Amino acid sequence: MALKGLDIFKLTPKTNCKDCGNPTCMAFAMKVASGAIPIEKCPHMSEAALSTLSEATAPPMKSYKVGELALGGETVLSRHEKTLVSKTLYAVQVCDCMDEAKQDEVLKNIPAVDYERISERMYVEMVFVAHSSDKAPADFAALVTKAKALGRPMILSSTDVEAMKAGVEAAAGCDIIVNGANINNYADMSAVAVGAKALLGVQGESLEQLHEVVEKLEAAGNKNLILEVSRASIKEAYAEAVQIRRAALKDGDRTFGYPSIVNVAAISGGDAHLEAALLSLFTCKYGSIVVCSEMTYAKALPLYGLRQNIFTDPQKPMKVTPGIYPINGADENSPCCLTVDFALTYFLVSGEIERSKMPVNLLITDASGMSVLTAWAAGKFSSSSIKKFFDEFDINNKIKNRALIIPGKVAVMKGEIQDKLPEWSVIVGTTEAVQLVKYLRDEEWKKSYVDKTAAAPAGGEAAAEPAPAPKKVMPAPPIVVTGPYMIDDKPVAYKGHDPNAQTFVTIGERIHCISPAIRKAMDTYDEAPILKRAAEQIAAGATYLDVNIGPAESNGPELMTWAVQLLQQNFNNVPLALDTANMAAIEAGIKVYNRTNGKPIVNSADAGSRIGYIDLAAANDAIVIALCSADGIAKDNDERMHHCHNMLERGLSLGMESDDLWFDPLFLVIKGMQDKQMDVLNAIRAFSEEGLKSTGGLSNNSNGMPKHIRPIMDAAMVGMAMTMGLTSAIVNPCDQRLMETIKSCDIIKNHNLYADSYLEI
Amino acid sequence: MPFAKKPQVFSAKINELTLGTGDKATVLGGQNVFNLYSFDAPIANRPKIGIDVSDDPEQPSEGLKEFYAGCETLAARAKKAAELPDVDFVCIRFDLADPNGANKSIEDCVADAKAVAEVVDKPIVVAGCKNAEKDADLFSKVSEALQGKNILVLSAKEENYKGVAAGAGMAYGQKVGAESAVDINLAKQLNVLITQMGVDGKNVAMNIGSAAAGYGFEYVVSTLERVKAAALSQNDNTLQMPIITPVGTETWGVKESTAPESENPGWGSAEERGIDMEVETAAACLAYGSDAVILKHPASIQTTARLVAALM
Repeated sequence: MALKGLDIFKLTPKTNCKDCGNPTCMAFAMKVASGAIPIEKCPHMSEAALSTLSEATAPPMKSYKVGELALGGETVLSRHEKTLVSKTLYAVQVCDCMDEAKQDEVLKNIPAVDYERISERMYVEMVFVAHSSDKAPADFAALVTKAKALGRPMILSSTDVEAMKAGVEAAAGCDIIVNGANINNYADMSAVAVGAKALLGVQGESLEQLHEVVEKLEAAGNKNLILEVSRASIKEAYAEAVQIRRAALKDGDRTFGYPSIVNVAAISGGDAHLEAALLSLFTCKYGSIVVCSEMTYAKALPLYGLRQNIFTDPQKPMKVTPGIYPINGADENSPCCLTVDFALTYFLVSGEIERSKMPVNLLITDASGMSVLTAWAAGKFSSSSIKKFFDEFDINNKIKNRALIIPGKVAVMKGEIQDKLPEWSVIVGTTEAVQLVKYLRDEEWKKSYVDKTAAAPAGGEAAAEPAPAPKKVMPAPPIVVTGPYMIDDKPVAYKGHDPNAQTFVTIGERIHCISPAIRKAMDTYDEAPILKRAAEQIAAGATYLDVNIGPAESNGPELMTWAVQLLQQNFNNVPLALDTANMAAIEAGIKVYNRTNGKPIVNSADAGSRIGYIDLAAANDAIVIALCSADGIAKDNDERMHHCHNMLERGLSLGMESDDLWFDPLFLVIKGMQDKQMDVLNAIRAFSEEGLKSTGGLSNNSNGMPKHIRPIMDAAMVGMAMTMGLTSAIVNPCDQRLMETIKSCDIIKNHNLYADSYLEI
Repeated sequence: MPFAKKPQVFSAKINELTLGTGDKATVLGGQNVFNLYSFDAPIANRPKIGIDVSDDPEQPSEGLKEFYAGCETLAARAKKAAELPDVDFVCIRFDLADPNGANKSIEDCVADAKAVAEVVDKPIVVAGCKNAEKDADLFSKVSEALQGKNILVLSAKEENYKGVAAGAGMAYGQKVGAESAVDINLAKQLNVLITQMGVDGKNVAMNIGSAAAGYGFEYVVSTLERVKAAALSQNDNTLQMPIITPVGTETWGVKESTAPESENPGWGSAEERGIDMEVETAAACLAYGSDAVILKHPASIQTTARLVAALM
């Protein structure tokens, strides 16, 4: 069970010597409790205190490796609480009580199930080799020798120590589990397991007895254990599997903090369908290894799919392998539909195509598991990524049909894709998957099909040449400022910003290419819609404006330069956050950026593939928003702080000031991740306690809520986050309730002097 | 320290919902512990098993064709299905009413439902054609025709809850199913809306969404677990309705169940694959929180019943 800061404080020397780098022992203890620093940072802790602490901070369930297979290490009972880490493993039982022919048949069938599903190999990972008390140790050894030939880790199961010794000897060189310690033989059996450097399987006639045997083994120094649940009945086995796991993870009983073995072959009464049901039941709750009498495709297909679902990390999107997926008997002459590798998108789109009954090649590109629009905005689903995909998978040669249907939501990419794939007819498909059935069945796409094969050089390789296709990129028009921008006949002027002020910094989010109006305006260098949104946000009191130009592959630098000049020249050098996946565009924008009202902000870096944005900010003396995530949302605050410190170190080593790294904990959607909201807030507190600045897309918390609810939630969130120390947020400044809350919080935090008219200032 | 059992018994409990009438009536819900945790406290009512019978005579497997051989009408199939000893209720489904399909008239559906009620004495659940507008009308008319039978309609959704709640629920006093797609917030919202219409929450069952194992089933898992946790540990009475999960309609549509053996000889009999897909999905639903599952295949029903009995 995790220790509280105060408990740790009691164990410190309480001298406030600062040798750990913290002002007081209390501050140190608090950070240790939050996982921010290890206890070893204090050079003056006593041995006794250290051992008490390491015992108390040890994980609630041990984790092991048997060969390459991971076992245990769970910290939660339900996947939605965090994630389940070690998937259930399956074993098939073979026994020396079977006649030779039966033994051979069982062993021969074990490799039969072996296939791949969404990038994971599905097979029987282990062999459960059982000894029967009426057989001789030599019989067991003979069977172990035969089973060993399969080359899979084995669970040797016997309560007879002599037989076990014979089995272990026969298994030499193979990864094994020694399963069979009980109240009578535990000392000898433990010696066998320790000798073989193997995990020891422990059994008991009841949970109480099992607990007692584990305690005795632990007292004797063996903590490499796995617990086998009852083989008496389904009811007993289930009761024990659940209670062991629950005692370890919920009730803090370390004695039961070990993985489990469930032998469903023993309780299914020879009924294959019931065995299938039990395999499923114990995969859900809570078998680490589940042993069955036989694995068939009938059992395996649903079972491995179920396991894959349950053990996915809810924080990380499930991805489908990129490639060509022919549907409804599609071949090289069928048209292609293109989409991203987010598993839900795949299942939705492929399902609708199946319903249309039309042969279609579904092309899945690597988009880091994001949905279509998100991937596009992040630059992960772009004409270059699509071109790369076409080259990598040799689509031009594998498919003869030249119709390429792209998702309607990214119609804006059509031109760029067409440029890169000149011999294909790029067709804008439907915006929703459900519309696909009619679209395909009625062959509506044919109306937009244009034969380009004649125009383009024949053969895939020739087309891959970097032929300088005439780009229809419009040059940016010059910027002419005619006078102050007016709203309701009042001029809108940016009031200026003192970069050293303590007041909360709002970054207006409304100039974003995901909005169709802005997307269109950026496509055509149309000033009006962009100026309008800028003026509205400035009038509402935004400190910074975010400028998201999307991936802007073909004209990023030009577009960003234009946008920066347009906004700064019209609005008194309003400070800006430059937001795009195109790094060259950010650099170009900074080149023309005026720093009167604050440094430019680079939006954004993360601790994964976008770490380079920190280098970019360092090289250009800019502020950088640093997302505390790498590949998907951080699991917990340990991970968030780990990312935070990595990025901080990188920034500092490149000569940045710590004030120029604004850490983003990643605000999460309440509808869906309600139970994670306090984690986000606690991360902000941790940043603040370390003297770091923070920001983030705060309104994400209320995503998907009704319009009238969002301002209420956003205002509450900003209030709580500012209590925790949030220094900035990317928000919609036109939300009056939110802005009023921020101003009020700044008053309460004593960042701004009160006057009855404070809201108007 | 010796092991001390710590049963997880809640002061809240899942609502009890009775379907049907007389000695064949069946009760869903009622427990004050997590699903199947009979080691924590006795389970008030074991999870129930329904059988899915469509008005479409087409069957997804050879075994089902055989089972229903000679049954020409929905009523005949429903009667045959109800005779299975492990079936607690019969779910008749009007697939053919879909306006984008056969567009069978509501009058014909009502006649079918009446015929079923004549020959089936077990509780009846009525599922629609998934067209929200037609279903609202269909449920209302069937509820009227089967007044007094205490049926459950599956289901009211965001798009048609007003019509379904007013018709089936209030005018004819039937039980109302509230269907949402694996989203706990939507599930709660729909229950709130239906009860605000005037339907007693005690007369509502939830279908929080369903999927076949391997097909995004993690969303079903997390929604089931979170709904049960909110209902029991937070005593949230807007989520204490028993959960009924259609399983067979999902599992008999995926390729693991339907691909003929000739396509993948190593996979073995399609019948066996279909049964295990249905059995394993049902077992997982029951493990995570379903108070009732609706299956199609007699062998799946028998297996699931054995599993449930063994755990009580």
